[in-house]
Amino acid sequence: MQRDISSYAIAPSVKVKLLNAGFLSAADLCDLRPLQLSKEACISQEEAVEVLQAVRCESGQERAAAGRLTALELLGREQELGTIVTFCSALDMALGGGMPVGKTTEVCGAPGVGKTQLCIQLSVDAQIPVCFGGLGGKSLYIDTEGSFLVQRAVDLAQAAVDHCGLLAEDSEQQEALKGFTVETILSNLFLVRCHDYVELLAETYLLPDFLAQHPGVRLVVIDSIAFSFRHDFEDLSQRTRLLNGLAQRLIQMATNHNVAVILTNQMTTKVWSGQSKLVPALGESWGHAATQRLILHWEGTHRLASLYKSPSQREATVPYQITGQGFRDAPPSDQPKASDDPSVRQSGSLSKRPRTEEDQSTRT
Amino acid sequence: MVVLRDGMCPGLSEELVVALRAADITTGTWVLINLFTLVNLASRCGNALLAIRRVLLAQHTAFPVSGADLYEDLLSSTAILSTGNPSLDKLLDSGLYTGELTELAGGPGSGKTQVCFGVAVNISYQLKQSVIYVDSTGGLSASRLLQMLQAKSCNIEEQMEALQRIQVFPVFDIFSLLGCLHHFRCVGLQQASAGGGSVKAVIVDSVSAVISPILGGKQNEGMSMMTQVAGLLKTIAKDFNVAVLVTNTVTRDGNGQLKAGLGQTWSHVPRIRILLQRLERPGSTCSSVRTATLAKSSRQPCHLKEEFDLQCWGRSEEQLYGMSGKRKHTEPS
Repeated sequence: MQRDISSYAIAPSVKVKLLNAGFLSAADLCDLRPLQLSKEACISQEEAVEVLQAVRCESGQERAAAGRLTALELLGREQELGTIVTFCSALDMALGGGMPVGKTTEVCGAPGVGKTQLCIQLSVDAQIPVCFGGLGGKSLYIDTEGSFLVQRAVDLAQAAVDHCGLLAEDSEQQEALKGFTVETILSNLFLVRCHDYVELLAETYLLPDFLAQHPGVRLVVIDSIAFSFRHDFEDLSQRTRLLNGLAQRLIQMATNHNVAVILTNQMTTKVWSGQSKLVPALGESWGHAATQRLILHWEGTHRLASLYKSPSQREATVPYQITGQGFRDAPPSDQPKASDDPSVRQSGSLSKRPRTEEDQSTRT
Repeated sequence: MVVLRDGMCPGLSEELVVALRAADITTGTWVLINLFTLVNLASRCGNALLAIRRVLLAQHTAFPVSGADLYEDLLSSTAILSTGNPSLDKLLDSGLYTGELTELAGGPGSGKTQVCFGVAVNISYQLKQSVIYVDSTGGLSASRLLQMLQAKSCNIEEQMEALQRIQVFPVFDIFSLLGCLHHFRCVGLQQASAGGGSVKAVIVDSVSAVISPILGGKQNEGMSMMTQVAGLLKTIAKDFNVAVLVTNTVTRDGNGQLKAGLGQTWSHVPRIRILLQRLERPGSTCSSVRTATLAKSSRQPCHLKEEFDLQCWGRSEEQLYGMSGKRKHTEPS
């Protein structure tokens, strides 16, 4: 079976030269040496070496088969990866334990509804030690709007440390608490500031190397993706292409390096046939980019979070509030409407026992 | 078409190759197409050239098959795979046909991935055959597959066996997708998947996620790669007798009507196309009911519409048929 040269990841200009020299399929290149190839196709020797490496007969097939796994193995891996809690138990239950690691989640909302608060809360929660039910990992926060405030992160970190301090029962947890202080939380939180979409795209190209150097990172937050892409972009189709490519790179990174990727998006108004509705920004095709979509919105004076799109959880709407200590459950007295959600569990979602299958399964 | 080298077919010697190169002829395509120039050259290079042409024609022509043979072949080799949802089966004329490409198009959250899960679970549990799932969005959730299986059977061993029959291939860009599909074509689906039973379906979720970044703008390779993917999927469906199911996005055309994404060229590729939409009911915001519209079919009239519940795969048989039209308010155990 012969595979066309055009289906390999080679630079287009080199492909044109190869085609002009008469090389149409991989079989033509199999038994050539770089010097011969560079003479026949008039390309430089380095390009010839690259082409031969890309086209080497067995490697493509091995690579394609290497990543495969059965659904059973995937199940084991998902259960190992765990989730990042949000400290709002209703939301955690709706999400099946918290933000999933290894998937991309998009958080959309109107200004002021709490997206950045949720992101900072998650950056702190990703570092909760394993014996408290957390992941014990580091976080990377990519800030495009300049809305990350260190003072707020300190408040949230202090509240998380106090919460764990109240829960600590035995010596293992006391030991872990010593390594879980405001200073260590802040030192494990990497902050990157991007000013426009070029910097953001460049950062996503560099991220795999960064994650390989820091294997403890479990959370990558991009707050927000919409800001850089909504300002002065004349060519909307180019924007869609860039966003789609970005989404694919992010999901590839999430899967290969076992990180949870959280993206923040803004809202825009869609007007049609006399009606108007708030919809997430960046277009309809961006809706397919993230694996899960969470929409935060107002209902009068209450804040609600709706799970709009998820491959494994049912749609649900839960109330939440932002307190001085961060992202928390709304007080049970003023819940506007808890549709599809019978009870809101107020018990602490952190406990010593590791997460088992019963915790993860949801009611259908 | 291949570059001419000596030894490729009897009569093609090294001197002949050099002589042809001097006349600027390097590939076999040239030899097949340009008959008049060949005749002129033959007087110089001898009749070996015409003999080579005959050999090349014999090697590369396709042979006609009679309609009756084709029909016999079709009857014996085509299978119809139920999706597990009676409304969808009605739209698809009782299920997914092997040897064909079926497309599910829909906006975000419209249920395409859930339908793919339902089909995979039905084939691996009910029909006890293998499924290959090519995942390009990271949306495959094994815990959801397990949930669907748990609703069908309480036997843990059966559930694990069914899960083992679903092979997952994660691909995140167009080159890995092309490499994966070429791998299937060269090695055969049996070797590509390890679980028991023969492979009956290949699900690609989603094909637009890897193709849309390369279409348009100054990139001139996007269309060719899209056509290669289409060609590979169709060949895999035909040669290995599997049903291919792909998912796609939607866009709006000039009148505001929904149509499948990826443009005009891709719209001719699938044989059957179903558009999925959410129901805009004023009362409930969170509902799992979807409408499926038949947008393109070679067997049924188009624009047939059916409503179905995404939760039907998560329920057992008694609950599905014992409900007799009641809406889902009871919580299945």
